[in-house]
Amino acid sequence: MQLNKTDLKKALFAASCTLLAGNSVAQDWDFDTAIMYYGEADRVQALEGIFQAKKTLKDDKEFSAKLVVDSLTGASANGAVQQATAQTFTTPSGNGQYTANTSETPLDDTFLDTRVQISAQWSQPLAENYVVSTGANVSNEYDYQSIAFNGVLGRYFNNKNTTASLGLSYALDSVDPVGGRPVGLSTMVVDNGQFSDEAAYRSAFDATRQTGGEDGKNTVDVILGLTQVINRQWITQFNVSLSEVDGYLTDPYKVVSEVDASGMATQQRYENRPGSRSKQAFFAQSKYRFESSVWDISYRLTNDDWGINSHTIESRYRFLFDNNSYLEPHIRLYQQGEADFYTPFLREGDAVPEFASADYRIGKLNAYTFGIKYGKKLKSGREYGVRLEYYNQASQDVGVEAPGGLNSLDLYPSLDAVILQFDYKF
Amino acid sequence: MKKIIMLFAAVAILGVTGCSSLGVQPWERDLLATDEMSLSAGATDLALDDHIYFSKEGTSGGRGFAGGGCGCN
Amino acid sequence: MATLAQQHYELSGHDSYISARFQAMASPCEFLFDTLDKSLADSLAQKGVAQARRIEQKFSRYAKDNLCFAINNAEGASVKIDDECYRLLAFAQTCFELSDGMFDLTSGVLRRAWKFDCSSHIPQQRQIDALLPLVGWEKVTFDQHSIQMKPGMEIDFGGIGKEYAVSAIADIYRIHAPDMSVLINLGGDIQITKPRQHKLPWRVGIENHEHVISIVQGALATSGDAKRFILRDGKRYSHILNPKTGWPVANAPSSVTTHAPLCVQAGCLATLSLLNGKDAERFLQNQDVKYWCTRV
Repeated sequence: MQLNKTDLKKALFAASCTLLAGNSVAQDWDFDTAIMYYGEADRVQALEGIFQAKKTLKDDKEFSAKLVVDSLTGASANGAVQQATAQTFTTPSGNGQYTANTSETPLDDTFLDTRVQISAQWSQPLAENYVVSTGANVSNEYDYQSIAFNGVLGRYFNNKNTTASLGLSYALDSVDPVGGRPVGLSTMVVDNGQFSDEAAYRSAFDATRQTGGEDGKNTVDVILGLTQVINRQWITQFNVSLSEVDGYLTDPYKVVSEVDASGMATQQRYENRPGSRSKQAFFAQSKYRFESSVWDISYRLTNDDWGINSHTIESRYRFLFDNNSYLEPHIRLYQQGEADFYTPFLREGDAVPEFASADYRIGKLNAYTFGIKYGKKLKSGREYGVRLEYYNQASQDVGVEAPGGLNSLDLYPSLDAVILQFDYKF
Repeated sequence: MKKIIMLFAAVAILGVTGCSSLGVQPWERDLLATDEMSLSAGATDLALDDHIYFSKEGTSGGRGFAGGGCGCN
Repeated sequence: MATLAQQHYELSGHDSYISARFQAMASPCEFLFDTLDKSLADSLAQKGVAQARRIEQKFSRYAKDNLCFAINNAEGASVKIDDECYRLLAFAQTCFELSDGMFDLTSGVLRRAWKFDCSSHIPQQRQIDALLPLVGWEKVTFDQHSIQMKPGMEIDFGGIGKEYAVSAIADIYRIHAPDMSVLINLGGDIQITKPRQHKLPWRVGIENHEHVISIVQGALATSGDAKRFILRDGKRYSHILNPKTGWPVANAPSSVTTHAPLCVQAGCLATLSLLNGKDAERFLQNQDVKYWCTRV
């Protein structure tokens, strides 16, 4: 036996891993369930439930199916500016009105929506050192349907210490907004008694609605991923992704206020966004195992041709305790620049731009999340967890000079939310 | 298209320089094989978070597919 | 009723764990579960015992209707094998190569000449010469689907089967009880799935040790048998045979126990060290493994 020192041992250990690797026996079903409450102060409340079933079959084949149900109630900002006087808006259907009080962010509270999503995923090894995964996803809500397919091919290198993957996803969404799709930047018709009869109001309202054109969108996503084991305690991942979206990308329920020199809103125009968007993202994640804790830190950089870029830093630090429980503080910091066509309001007298939106979500934002999770693994292999998080989002001034009375009003309101989640694995 | 080529090149470079001397032997995977070291650990939490941030912020994806599937944005 | 009797094991509670004792592979066996939940231990014991019996029945050379019998009685014909069998053969191939041909699953036929019953009987050289053509792993051809060898040759999985069973059972427990420490002990070949709670060690009695030993992690395997030898003219012949000469390896320790992460690894290191004869200890030191050698 010329092989000396640890060469022989290494070869032997590697061979013994191969010997036992084939013993991945078919497992029972694993179930993963969670229920989450999301609540904003005085605004949107959401309840979301997830039920996932996974089965590992012989030879590392894996099937999983997931059901997600969420329901949303409450009001969300419609994009209009605050005013020193009460404002009246027409509901998206055109059948009613809602109001915003003095110095109050105009909220549209006419929505109550339930979404159901079903997805299935299959993955299996493909030849030596390859793994393939394919899946489909269907989602349905009152005014929105989506169907998506994905495929991911992974290739292992270097003793499975390096994994390169290429993923493709295609999603086809269709939008059927309540009251139809508004004509971009047309003026919201508000019935203040100026119409001779109901029919006159209807025809004015209908003139703000599109008759043809795109009523859906399709999304192509490409992800290139690289996972690298650094050492026994350290693993990293890098993703580069591209996303091309085409179709109707406007939020049919959002408006932009047009204000005069005194800062008074003279009309509300339905927002209008470009019909395509190209996005790029870079994502890096690192996980490090300490003696009795695990640190998971990630960074994401995104950029798109709407001019929105964002930075996200997220950290989860899991303290592992002897009794199989853990405590995991979570911090997330998010910063986003505004879209080129974002504006908190339009100025009367200026030419109406081709695209404009006052949706705070594509404005300039800073957000942070603080949270903590407690989890416990039971002897039977079951596991439960409780998570509480606080989310704060602050819209930032984009440097548009506020005329007259707008000066004293909050053009960039902030939002607070609480997230509470229970999960159980069995 | 140029962007795509650049991104592919970036990943290729990371891949080539990144892995030659890194990694562990199969029998040293004891820690990496634990649930908490899995990159998909807490996948349910991440899915729920993604949905929230997707509906409240202007950008999405990165970790996985940015996807559509929801009219909330 | 036969199957029921075959599954039989004895479950008993202790201060901080539950044990399941049973007989398999001609040895006393036990599982120690780091729990006080009897029904959980019971259901786990069932799975482990079933796996031990399955492997024993499939690879035992004493059974008449199993895969091992089919291979050994094919009379030169090709025999279909499954993935598990292929993996064992591939592992044996690696051990054969690493040991320069000393580790050889076909050397069992030499036992037709050598009877290690503590007697003084030594076979004639011509008896050994007659058997040597039937020994030699290089004469075995196999791939993922079949195996073929010369008529009269035999494969004995005994050299790796028990250790393999220990590691395979450990893998089952890692799946079904990922958070519980379980000690698997099949006739002295031992593996622990993960450390116990509160950093308690498992305490087991093994060969080569007068007292029970404490083990926290990994696996132990023993090769050799202090009770199986031939004593003739003051010279002791171990039961470890050199497949090239057909004679016992000279100056081998009577038994070696090694510690490694997995039982199959520990078992192989122990066997390879015995095949090194007088250099057994040096071999183990070179491999940087913890070991206990007994020389009588």
